[in-house]
Amino acid sequence: MTAVLLETRGLCKNFGALEVAREVGIRLEAGARHALIGPNGAGKTTLVNLLTGLLRPSRGRVLLRGEDVTHLTQAGRVKRGIARTFQINQLFRGLTVLENVYIAVAERMGVASSMIRPAGRRRDVIDQALRLLETLKLADDAGRRVAELPYGRQRLVEIAIALGLEPRVLLLDEPAAGVPGAESHIILDAIAALPDEIGVLIIEHDMDLVFRFAQQITVMVSGEIFAEGTPTEIAANRDVRAVYLGSAAADG
Amino acid sequence: MDLVSIALGGVASGMVLFIVSVGLSVTMGLMGFVNLAHGGFAMLGGYVIVYAMDAWGLPFFVALATGFVAVAAISIVLERLLYAPLYRASELDQVLFTIGLVFVMIAAITLGIGPETQALVLPDWLRGQTDLGFISYRTYSLMVIVAGTLLAIGLWLGFERTRFGAQIRAAVDNRRMAQSLGVDVGRLFTITFAFGSGLAAVGGGLGAEILGLDPQYPLRYLVYFLIVVSVGGLGRVSGVFFAAVLIGILDFVLKLYYPKGGTLFIYAFTLVVLLLRPQGLFGKRSG
Amino acid sequence: MTPPGFAAAQALAARHRFKWWEVLPWVAAIAAFFLFPTYLSFGTQVLITILFALSLDLVMGYAGIVTLGHAAFFGAGAYTVGILALHFGWNEPLSGLVAAAVVAGAIGFVSGVVLLRTQGLALLMVTLCTMALLEESANMGAAYTGGFDGMPGLEFAPIFGVFQFDPLFFRAQYLYALAVLLVCFVLVRALVYSPFGESLTGIRENVLRMHAVGAPVQRRLVVAYTISAALAGVAGAVFTQTTAFVNLSVLGLDRAAGVLIVLILGGYGRLYGAFVGAVAYMVLEHTLAKAYPTAWQLGIGIVLIVVALYARNGILGIAETLRGRLRMRRAS
Repeated sequence: MTAVLLETRGLCKNFGALEVAREVGIRLEAGARHALIGPNGAGKTTLVNLLTGLLRPSRGRVLLRGEDVTHLTQAGRVKRGIARTFQINQLFRGLTVLENVYIAVAERMGVASSMIRPAGRRRDVIDQALRLLETLKLADDAGRRVAELPYGRQRLVEIAIALGLEPRVLLLDEPAAGVPGAESHIILDAIAALPDEIGVLIIEHDMDLVFRFAQQITVMVSGEIFAEGTPTEIAANRDVRAVYLGSAAADG
Repeated sequence: MDLVSIALGGVASGMVLFIVSVGLSVTMGLMGFVNLAHGGFAMLGGYVIVYAMDAWGLPFFVALATGFVAVAAISIVLERLLYAPLYRASELDQVLFTIGLVFVMIAAITLGIGPETQALVLPDWLRGQTDLGFISYRTYSLMVIVAGTLLAIGLWLGFERTRFGAQIRAAVDNRRMAQSLGVDVGRLFTITFAFGSGLAAVGGGLGAEILGLDPQYPLRYLVYFLIVVSVGGLGRVSGVFFAAVLIGILDFVLKLYYPKGGTLFIYAFTLVVLLLRPQGLFGKRSG
Repeated sequence: MTPPGFAAAQALAARHRFKWWEVLPWVAAIAAFFLFPTYLSFGTQVLITILFALSLDLVMGYAGIVTLGHAAFFGAGAYTVGILALHFGWNEPLSGLVAAAVVAGAIGFVSGVVLLRTQGLALLMVTLCTMALLEESANMGAAYTGGFDGMPGLEFAPIFGVFQFDPLFFRAQYLYALAVLLVCFVLVRALVYSPFGESLTGIRENVLRMHAVGAPVQRRLVVAYTISAALAGVAGAVFTQTTAFVNLSVLGLDRAAGVLIVLILGGYGRLYGAFVGAVAYMVLEHTLAKAYPTAWQLGIGIVLIVVALYARNGILGIAETLRGRLRMRRAS
């Protein structure tokens, strides 16, 4: 049996009368490739925000490797190995690609509070950031300001920052969203090349990507878990087809 | 002074604060634009109104209307030319720009008219005292209170009962959502900006008797307008109204009993309110 | 062949090294000492303003905290040395600076812990109100502060027991202010190029992301705010010591807005923006304001509008753009 990395129990979140998460229970195992799908407004991003601590649940618990992290800050959870990307890029746009990753690496290595020794003298941080950029094929752009990059490569920087935190659990919120078709393969390649031992939860609307990537799929509708299973099971699930895949097919 | 007189005096200056500040509250709520030049429009209006009565001999209320129209027109030009390019700019740039605009307004008035205080010459029927039965009080102050209250009710109805008001409320609460529902927030902003500046002009004229009127007006009262808006909550007509009356009374009482350093309590009050409720006493928590 | 990313890594690794032109401001300051011996009083004010603007740059330019109340700390430092000298006979200048830094830093720390949870308009207002509170307190505590009239005619001991401040010739004051500025500048420079400075920049650029990489954002901001307050306090202390008086003007909105304008005019988040902005602003003010005070206000108003609309990075920003164009032309 593989170890459970991340688990939620009876997670609920209300905004006033609006219920955006209801009794959500999911499990993510080490090395998992788990996709979270569902129509817009199903509460997928809310769930990610609850997992990372950006939002506090109204009820329920979040467990990381058995430890209750429900009341930990975002920083506390990052230290314990949760990292995420955002649906809409959240980058340091005025800084270079290298600096973007440097900030994350420095934070993880615990040197980010040091005030006297120049940032440039931390060769260890720079080297790690560079190595990461190389594996993501971003090294050529290391010296460019993020704002100057094409959107697809900016999405890669999102992933690079998250990986700079050396997470055990990686939450990818629509990593390919907004990326033009011609560039989308660089995102797919990057996801395919993620280290095996990381548990990955990915929110995605692109069904090709989901079925290619995921070993496990959770379908959310209206803040609730609607169905769970392997890609084959989900693809065969009539209800899912009706509620989600059907409507997606109708849209597309 | 007896309690009723104190209350009336405080409410009157609160009304002036309300009339000047309400436009600022709505425009800041709509666009998040930090407009430190708002008091400048009140000052311009005050000058137009005083001048209209003095030089052209216009009746009081016609002069007020003239001030409203003139300043609203000026503000539309400024909004389109100078404010609009800065909607997406950082707070810092907005602060810088509006401070610059205040300086230009102050300098223009000082150069064109002079640094001295302007006196509003009231028509006869507004001078003297009015007997309310239980108390006799300055007619002008009573008129300001009535005018302010009517305006507050009118604005509140406009906000709550008209389609335009509903659009403004929606845009204040969630600009992106409102835009996706087809509300033209830019146009909304131009209109409310002009209307709010016009109201400020009226407030500048009406309040000349109470707050005074000279080129330093926009800077002297800037902090007061900002306090009223931030305590009342952005984009809340009723919130600004209550905050203005509250601050007006507080200020009046403190100046009476603690002329030296009484404003300390107003700053402390604002500080405590904003720390406990950053969205203001009556504002909605965003997000 | 160099590996990809090597150049970027080199650039980052070399960023903090001193460049040849960084010596220019100091050479200019020394040259001014000899060239304009009658303007040293004014020069001292410029140096103090540079230090004050530098302290603001740390929180506003780097950490992105927009404050309207930074004069609170300048004033706290100014009054600290004034009160110590007048009421406690503590008039040794250097230890006075330390005391000012401690008091202003403490006020910065306490107010930072409380205030920095807010943002936007609320933050502007709470910083403004905090400063106004201090101003009113100084006004009311006349027994200690001299109230509205302030404390004129303060006396300070010679520096190191040797160099006496001369009220007529500002030589000692100028060099003293210059030395203090140099020390503080070296400190701020080290800070902004450190990983801590990098993370402040990160907070300015994207606070949401900073939380998501696990940074203790609030704590970093409070630390930066405290250091900045202490530096502003030192600037205020030098002001009191060199002019031998202190009054309410050190705490007002005028001073807070003035330093904001200086920094933005020079270019914020750039370290040298404080230098360029202070010199440009104060020289203009000095030459124009006395003769035509209203014209000065009109002029600075127009400059502010133009800077906000067309030159958001200030004078240094314009210089950078020009240099970039020049390079492009040379390359083509």
